[in-house]
Amino acid sequence: MQAMEISRTGLDVEWRRLEVIAQNLANANSTQGVDGKPYQAMRLVSGPKADFGNYLSASSGPLGVAVYGVEPEGLPARSIYEPGNPNADAKGFVSYPGIDHAAEMTMMVKTERVYEANIVAMNAARQMYLKALELGKRS
Amino acid sequence: MSLPPASAIVPAMGITPVAPQASATTAAPTGLSFSQLLTNGVEAVDQRVVDADSLAAAFAVNDSIPLHRVTYALEQARLSLELMLQVRSRLVEAYQEVSRMQL
Repeated sequence: MQAMEISRTGLDVEWRRLEVIAQNLANANSTQGVDGKPYQAMRLVSGPKADFGNYLSASSGPLGVAVYGVEPEGLPARSIYEPGNPNADAKGFVSYPGIDHAAEMTMMVKTERVYEANIVAMNAARQMYLKALELGKRS
Repeated sequence: MSLPPASAIVPAMGITPVAPQASATTAAPTGLSFSQLLTNGVEAVDQRVVDADSLAAAFAVNDSIPLHRVTYALEQARLSLELMLQVRSRLVEAYQEVSRMQL
């Protein structure tokens, strides 16, 4: 069951990652957020899951992956001259979030593939479990 | 969906009285009898089925729960049930094997 549990953490993390990417794409044309600053493209940071016991002894085995946090990417905002825009500054410039569309799309495809790979791994674990149940079975 | 209480099933198979007299010295002193083990197993399976059931109900009202959580819980419940059925059929096989013994 532990193999399936690991794959499930992978599914969770990729699901969250897709949510963050969807949020970035949905805000591609946002000129400013509620705080008045332009939207910042976000990136989900993930890493191997570990509990406190793991640091004390390496005997508990792999636990899968976990979300460490969602961090801003820090790309500079694009300034576009649009004097008619209500969010334009004194000189007529509007700040659009610096979202790299190609990078977002690439990340999205990667996320999808990793999600699929986790499902395949989970199915393999499930098959092995069911095969193990057949061991010694009569008829 | 809930399974009948395991305590009702296990004693009927007549497994409990076997241990004490013959193997008093060799029996593992874990304090956990075989029937207790079975009961725990059935209860764990029941818990998984209940969990999967409640998760499916929660998903029906609020589909912001990732879908794979629901399918995973259902699959896990099914695998546990499958394991329980296998254990049961081995036990019944063994019981029938003994009951067919010529004296």
